[in-house]
Amino acid sequence: MYTQALLLLPLVGFGVAFLLQGTVKRSPAIVKTWAMLGFAAIAAVAALAGAEIGTLYEGPTVFGSVLTYGLTDLSWWFVLLIAGITALTTVFTLGSLRYADDYPMYYAWLFAKVFGMIGLVMSRDLLSFFIMWEIMSWATYLVMQQGRDESRKAAQGYLVYAISAGMILLGGVVFLRTASGSFEFAVITKFVAGADLGVIITAIVLVLVPFLIEAAVYPTHGWLPSAYASSETTMTAYLSSISTRMGLFGLILFVFNVFGLDVIDRIGISAHLNLRTLLLVLAALTAVLPTYTALFQHDAKRLLTWHSIGQGGYMLLGLATASTLGTAGGLMHIFNYMTYVALIIFSIAAVEYRTGTTNLNKLGGLITRQPVAFLGMLFGIIGLAGIPPMNGFVSKWFIYRSLILGGYPFVALAAFIATVGTIMSVYKLIHNTFLGQLPERYNEVREVGWVMQLPIWVLMAVVFATGVFPGTILQWIARIQVELGIAPIAYTLGGVAQEAGDLNMMVITLVFTLTFIVGAVIFFMGGKRRIVSQYDNYAAGHFLNKDVPYNFNYNFYSAFDHIFEKLYHAAPVQSTERNLGRLVATVGEYIRRFFTGQINTYAAYYVAAVIIALAFLKEVL
Amino acid sequence: MNSGIGLIVWIIAYPFVSFFLGVLLGGYGRKLTARVQRRVGPTWIQPLFDVIKLMTKQTNISHGYMHDVAMMMLVGGTLMTMYFVPVPGFHYFSQFGDYIVVMYLLLVPPLGMALGVGQTANPNGSIGISRALQMLAGYEITLVMTFIGFAMKHGTTSMYELMKLQQAGGPATWGIFAEPLLGIAALFALQGMLNEKPFEVIIAPHEIATGPMTEMGGKYLGMMFIQHLIALPMELTIFMNLFLGGAQSWVEYVVKLFVLFTLVLVVNAVYGRFKTDGALRFFWKLPLPLAALGVVMIMANGM
Amino acid sequence: MSDKELTQRSAWETVLASLKKRSLWMLHYCTGCGAVELPPTMTSRFDMERFGIMPMVTPRQADILLITGYLSVKTLKRVILIYEQMQAPKYVVGFGSCTINGGMYWNSYATMKSLDRYLPVELYLAGCMPRPEAIISGFNSLIDRIDRGEANSWKDYYENYEFYRKNQEHTFGDIETHRSIADDAQYYGFVEVTK
Repeated sequence: MYTQALLLLPLVGFGVAFLLQGTVKRSPAIVKTWAMLGFAAIAAVAALAGAEIGTLYEGPTVFGSVLTYGLTDLSWWFVLLIAGITALTTVFTLGSLRYADDYPMYYAWLFAKVFGMIGLVMSRDLLSFFIMWEIMSWATYLVMQQGRDESRKAAQGYLVYAISAGMILLGGVVFLRTASGSFEFAVITKFVAGADLGVIITAIVLVLVPFLIEAAVYPTHGWLPSAYASSETTMTAYLSSISTRMGLFGLILFVFNVFGLDVIDRIGISAHLNLRTLLLVLAALTAVLPTYTALFQHDAKRLLTWHSIGQGGYMLLGLATASTLGTAGGLMHIFNYMTYVALIIFSIAAVEYRTGTTNLNKLGGLITRQPVAFLGMLFGIIGLAGIPPMNGFVSKWFIYRSLILGGYPFVALAAFIATVGTIMSVYKLIHNTFLGQLPERYNEVREVGWVMQLPIWVLMAVVFATGVFPGTILQWIARIQVELGIAPIAYTLGGVAQEAGDLNMMVITLVFTLTFIVGAVIFFMGGKRRIVSQYDNYAAGHFLNKDVPYNFNYNFYSAFDHIFEKLYHAAPVQSTERNLGRLVATVGEYIRRFFTGQINTYAAYYVAAVIIALAFLKEVL
Repeated sequence: MNSGIGLIVWIIAYPFVSFFLGVLLGGYGRKLTARVQRRVGPTWIQPLFDVIKLMTKQTNISHGYMHDVAMMMLVGGTLMTMYFVPVPGFHYFSQFGDYIVVMYLLLVPPLGMALGVGQTANPNGSIGISRALQMLAGYEITLVMTFIGFAMKHGTTSMYELMKLQQAGGPATWGIFAEPLLGIAALFALQGMLNEKPFEVIIAPHEIATGPMTEMGGKYLGMMFIQHLIALPMELTIFMNLFLGGAQSWVEYVVKLFVLFTLVLVVNAVYGRFKTDGALRFFWKLPLPLAALGVVMIMANGM
Repeated sequence: MSDKELTQRSAWETVLASLKKRSLWMLHYCTGCGAVELPPTMTSRFDMERFGIMPMVTPRQADILLITGYLSVKTLKRVILIYEQMQAPKYVVGFGSCTINGGMYWNSYATMKSLDRYLPVELYLAGCMPRPEAIISGFNSLIDRIDRGEANSWKDYYENYEFYRKNQEHTFGDIETHRSIADDAQYYGFVEVTK
């Protein structure tokens, strides 16, 4: 019952929000309340739906085949993530979405997207998977293109990729249906296990490539940064935290469940050079290159969207090892990344709400003005950089350990190189936003209201608590691993059991708390201290005041810039993506010329169409 | 010393022992540098005087609460990391965190410092932090590459296990002798990790007015000194545990500490300073490929 | 300064003073020709690090403000800013006759004749110019004064700020160092709190 409700609720929500779009301008509170209620209900139902794991439900019949859906451990996990983050995002938008007239369909498209995503993770046969995939892709496009002109342009870039991914997936679906004679996962599994290598390769390429595109794996990541960064800021948080991971969900489902690891591993030259090695290399590139591209960004949102790609690389790294530790790390990283990236972007949104900009060269020194947003971002970046005691560290620890002990030294090195890049870019982010000199124009900036603070506090608690007690997440992970046919991780509340390695976050946090207290004692043993003005500052004897810009934030990593400048500006993928976007715009422009808006032109089209159709029919008949 | 009362005594005493060792090492460092430059140099416990002087300053300026908390995080984070690095007779905490954990714990104090320095709103400080983070891409990556090689070779990521394995095998299995390529690369990395010349780009007094320390005075600078003095033996110990077979007794430990530090210091005393991009290019041209070659050789032997 | 403060020190303060005198960091404000005497003082010939005296870079870190040579209207302003940025206890050392009476520039329109009208000077090193031996000797006497608890000139700036401020304003007009010395004096308890 809850399973059906999970699909019905977003649909109802969509319908009502669609009808309410006219009221948005006059009284935005109505649609906001409706969205809040709807997403809270979805979250509640999602939590209850766990009782129905394993039950299969039948939907309508399409093409003579019944659409089936139901929850598994894996899909329930994803449903929870989707429902949870959507509810938090909605709470945040209650405060942050001021320009409701620019976004009349904001919540409607969000409901549609949630429907697509929940449907996708719950679909239990190939056809419904494909249908939901398409719904999700279009909903994502619609969510992205709202608001500004640049959003529309950037969303076109996404559309190119999404349509090609959809086409390839359609090819895969048709291929598998023709070859195996059924849309059912079980039949396909059986068929693939007995098929010859050529068929398997075709099937895998046709099915997995769309997922890689959706998961923005290098080199198909070009659509993501501009598409996400030019959306409304809260939506950036939402898209970065969960949307990209749908590709990864498809990958997990098909690699581990539908095709099976044995089949995947049959493609390759030796045990060390196979499809998974290719995936590892792609994942390593995905982790490293976008992370370092993030260093050069001047916009907070854009910087983080590059990390959305890079951190996806980590998840794929962990999953592609297919080991107990690695998959645990990869699966956990999906959750961890979702929590802290949402936290960081909410903080940015809080800053943008008050200052009206996310330009890293213009902000600065806001720590004294928006301490809660600062704390939020601090927790978030500690998680993103993977520094204890936040949750990001735990999943990264799993991934490193699995890579090192699995015999992939250079991939492990790549993962670490990416971490260094992450640390650098997140420091730039927090420094340029909250630290350094406070520009005079932001003197009056205040903290955001409690409605917007609430999700920040909640996520801070989650990021910290799941870092200190990773066992709470690992118990889900272990269940998923059993379902995927991998030996489950031996976990304890504070980390992993002794046989899996040395990690106990509880002890680490306890030691840090105590040593921090020691540090505080030393600090307070010293003399009295007084807080001084930011202009009372060392400037080699120069008198500082508000007219003297005395701040370092532009071109923050100048040495890197010096070394990599040429490489960055010549990035081939970027230019390809730009050209593709241009192509779509051109084609669209020509298509648009058909629609002149004059009734007699359309009448002429109609007549022409009828004549052609008649001629064609005559031929046939 | 790894259970019962002994453990508790050690947990309480260890920071003091470490600080004392740090003072000796720091004083030794200044004395040795002075000697290389044909000076008399200060006394051996000069760092202690400096710390006392700084902590008893009567006025202190702060630029805000993050600036204060950063100092606690700096010292606290270093003390925490110190517990997870095994020393002779005290390895209780290594069962809760392996080398990967230590590697990340080592980032906590710099992060604290970076946040505090950021709030001082001084561009010199920000430049210092920017350089410090960029240098990570040089030495830290090299160090990680060498560690990955070792961990792969011995099939464990625990620093204590690696140390035990080397001790069981005798000096011939010490990292620096068994895998000289990795050892040499790590020596370069150590120089960078300790922020000594020619990789001393972070402090650069003549260029960016001591970078992160620019706005630090009084007890703030005092806490940075305390942190430095605790971190000094700890960072040397990490290298020792990975490449010199750790130490089985405290005599051996102290001897190895001073020998290793002497090596670092003499290089420091005679070299000038790289520019940041120069230092990075150097790390990517020589130590990192060396380490990578070492790892390739380990892989080739393993096959 | 009362005699009581000078003579009656607790045992702790005596011990502390004997430790603190071993570490003195110096910020040298070199406007004049005197700077040339400092390199030999620091390096192998005279090596002032023997006494725990080191050059430091920013005023926040320094204990001694060594002012070498003459001060013009322009530079004195900076010196005052730097002095106020230093952390107490802090000691101003005037180096060379220029800081005492203007030295050979005594009749220039732009030089400040007497440093102690603007800042509390702990020690003057006379001479034009003082040799490294004189500098070392001067620092040693500073160390002795700190040991005996007599080097308290910096408190004078807090206690008699009006005097210094009056002279500063007379010369420069209003200068803004983003710091209120009178407030600081009360906050840190260097003067009685006035209600």
